[in-house]
Amino acid sequence: MTRFRWGMLAPVLAATGVAVGFPLAYAFYLSLTDYKLTSRGAPDFVGLENYLFVLSDARMWNAFGNTATYVAVAVTVQTVLGLAIALALQKQQWARDVTRAMLLAPMFITPIAVGLTFRFLLNDQLGAIPAVLRSIGISYDFFGPSNALLTLSFIDVWQWTPFMVLLLLAGLESIPRQPLEAARVDGASAWYAFRRVVLPLLTPVLTVAVLLRSLDALKVFEYVYATTRGGPGTETETIQFFTYQTGIQFFRLGEASAVAFVLLAIVLTFIVILFRRLQRSAAR
Amino acid sequence: MTKGVNALAAARILLLSAAAVVVAFPLLWVAIASLKSPAQLNDPGLILFLPNLENWARVLEAGILNAAGRSAFVATVTVAFSVVAGSMGAYAISAYKAGGSATRFGILAAQVLPPAVLVFPFLTMAYALNINNTYVPIIFAHLSFVLPVITWFLIGFFDAVPRSLEEQARVDGFSRFAAFRLVVLPQVLPGIGAAAIFGFTLSWNDMFYGLILAPPRETILPVAISAFNTFRGVELGAMSAAIIIAVVPVVIASFFIQRRLVQGISGGAVKF
Amino acid sequence: MAEVRFNKVRKQYGSSVIVDDVDIEFPSGSLTVLVGPSGCGKSTSLRMLAGLEEVTSGEITIDGRVVNALEPKDRDVAMVFQNYALYPHLSVLENIAFPLRATKTPRADALHRAQGVADSLGLGALTGRKPKDLSGGQQQRVAIGRAIIRQPSVFLFDEPLSNLDAKLRVETRFELMQIQRRLGITAVYVTHDQEEAMTMSDRMVVMENGRVAQTGPPAEIYARPNSVFVATFVGSPKMNVLGGSVLDQVFHSKGGAIISTAGIASREAVTFGVRPDDLQVSPAASGGGTVVLVELLGPRAILHIDAGSDRLTSVVDADRLGELGQGATVDLRVRVHAEHLFDPTSGFRLDA
Repeated sequence: MTRFRWGMLAPVLAATGVAVGFPLAYAFYLSLTDYKLTSRGAPDFVGLENYLFVLSDARMWNAFGNTATYVAVAVTVQTVLGLAIALALQKQQWARDVTRAMLLAPMFITPIAVGLTFRFLLNDQLGAIPAVLRSIGISYDFFGPSNALLTLSFIDVWQWTPFMVLLLLAGLESIPRQPLEAARVDGASAWYAFRRVVLPLLTPVLTVAVLLRSLDALKVFEYVYATTRGGPGTETETIQFFTYQTGIQFFRLGEASAVAFVLLAIVLTFIVILFRRLQRSAAR
Repeated sequence: MTKGVNALAAARILLLSAAAVVVAFPLLWVAIASLKSPAQLNDPGLILFLPNLENWARVLEAGILNAAGRSAFVATVTVAFSVVAGSMGAYAISAYKAGGSATRFGILAAQVLPPAVLVFPFLTMAYALNINNTYVPIIFAHLSFVLPVITWFLIGFFDAVPRSLEEQARVDGFSRFAAFRLVVLPQVLPGIGAAAIFGFTLSWNDMFYGLILAPPRETILPVAISAFNTFRGVELGAMSAAIIIAVVPVVIASFFIQRRLVQGISGGAVKF
Repeated sequence: MAEVRFNKVRKQYGSSVIVDDVDIEFPSGSLTVLVGPSGCGKSTSLRMLAGLEEVTSGEITIDGRVVNALEPKDRDVAMVFQNYALYPHLSVLENIAFPLRATKTPRADALHRAQGVADSLGLGALTGRKPKDLSGGQQQRVAIGRAIIRQPSVFLFDEPLSNLDAKLRVETRFELMQIQRRLGITAVYVTHDQEEAMTMSDRMVVMENGRVAQTGPPAEIYARPNSVFVATFVGSPKMNVLGGSVLDQVFHSKGGAIISTAGIASREAVTFGVRPDDLQVSPAASGGGTVVLVELLGPRAILHIDAGSDRLTSVVDADRLGELGQGATVDLRVRVHAEHLFDPTSGFRLDA
């Protein structure tokens, strides 16, 4: 009996071990060395030197800050927008499947294509949007200083709001109907019923959705690579991009791994705190 | 009172229409751009013109279809393995609660890992094992995020199959694995289909691992697209055509699975 | 305290008619039960009254006011659902207080009044719990509490007791009647259980296929059902109904059963109905019927009798069983004037 169970699990566990576990361990080892892609011979073990360097590197913290801002803006806007669209889709009667399929499409497109599309679309000379804005007298440089990070956040919103819609729609459809009818009879206005009945019952799904999306948004790379390459200056240098540069462009793999683990540590702490809070409120 | 209801209905339709426009506009514009000549591209407002297939020729010539083929190959292998291993694993987790609830969270935790963490080990291991000129590293890298997602997704579908079905099969004389294969698996086929398409899309869309781990000179599609984004200047027309090639198959696939996606997610994610 | 009326109310989906131009009067302060088999339109009628379904044509009035266009929250009605429809994330106290909070009553005030209602329903100690930690009967009471806290003009009940076990159902039935009588609020109650309808109602409205079959006090509906449908729907065990003819004060069914009566005119073709309580059996050596099964129910017994090719039931006192065991041959007789005669084609009562 147990043999069967473990037998069934074996392929997944083995693959995960090889594809995830082993590289993870090896990455940790790398982060403790001064391995450079260009160096011959075995790397020297340098202990926590990389970590110390990285943690005191202003550029790394800048990247981290940029990423945090990006995630905060993008996920907040996506959640509100996603909820509104999910509510609207739920009540929709005709052409449901077509509308849903169309509205969900962006999340399936390869992010680099999305990035390049918007790079093109928002380009000062060749893009349609700046042209339209200019025709009504507004001049706005989408990828200019102070604007670029915000623009990237909105690219994220364009591509990933559908994901929020998907999760929230599933959540809305799993809320029992009758309490909502009872609320109508009990005198609640549509807004009151939403605030006091729908939203509380939607909270578990909302939390999962925000969590998943935030984790994903942290990894933002393609949009930066497609548009600003970290610029202007280091304004849009996100953590993933910074790691890429350190490792691939400057070949400092040891350091790059250390950066990645710092990020991992921060994210895991965040998740653990979040889950503790969730468990506590579930027990209440 | 019905006036209030009508105002809400109007707002709803407005929102959905606006969303539809926002979604469609960039893609349509790119599609139109792919048919413009370099001179025409300088005029963003130009919509009515004689379409020009120059860009498409250029893109095909540059081997975009080969890149697409490589992406498809990597995605297919990744998904094939993920579906087989994932369905077996998801079944074990669903039926026997193998690993407990920690497993479900654990799988999700694998999604937390930034690719930046894993890519360098893959790279160095590839060099060490001298397989850096093959597709092996990139397939394993893709497995690292496709396998957990597919497994997690399928758990919900397996949960929905009543245990009594298998028990009946086993009483009737089938071995455990045969019961799984002949009775349970057919029930979750729609879910597997959706998971496969979803996984394929994830793999097809990846650029980060592809950029670093694909065999040199044998780029995968997303990287090939960005190749038109050179420092000399973007070859907009060709790039637009490349974007459309990358986008269309995936959008079509999404039409087919959107309903199953909602089902699968209701089965899995919502049960936290 | 409000009078409710249905004027030619119709509910139609495309070509299928759920409620077919019904007229019903619900007198102020009464407990009227809408009863009928599944699909007869009773729940739909209730939901139209609540405002949860649109009325296709016709008018629904509460206290003379036409309410068709009003949202449920503006109709001053309270509803108790079959599945209780409690708010899963709120405590018992918050559930009961919800209608007050939804209409802007201050929190402290609302909770205070909710406590009062909870106490009156025996839920005083459970106010902090969530619905999932309550038994079915307790959840039902919370739903009732939520309805009564508003002192509405009309109470609506949608099969509220169907999910309770038999014993609890009987107890809760009694409580509901008491509450309604005490508060004097017009109540419309939907059920498919004719026994519930009989015991609880001041007035019964029997529905069939979207139409009203008969309206009136339960006693009247029981004693003088105006159609075969109503006659067989109300009363348990079911009324014996046979087609046949009457000659010389004896009813002969087509299947060969013979039932003696007192004083009915002879008729060629008639549908003859007699309640098991009114079907008298006496042992007779060469009787027309044979007892095939005896169900003992304590003080009474149900006899299943084969007469010709017909199967009849009769209810007798247990201490009269005597020789009426299984296999006994019996003669059948209707208690004086207790027969019901219906037109064989239309099914309607003949001496209506």
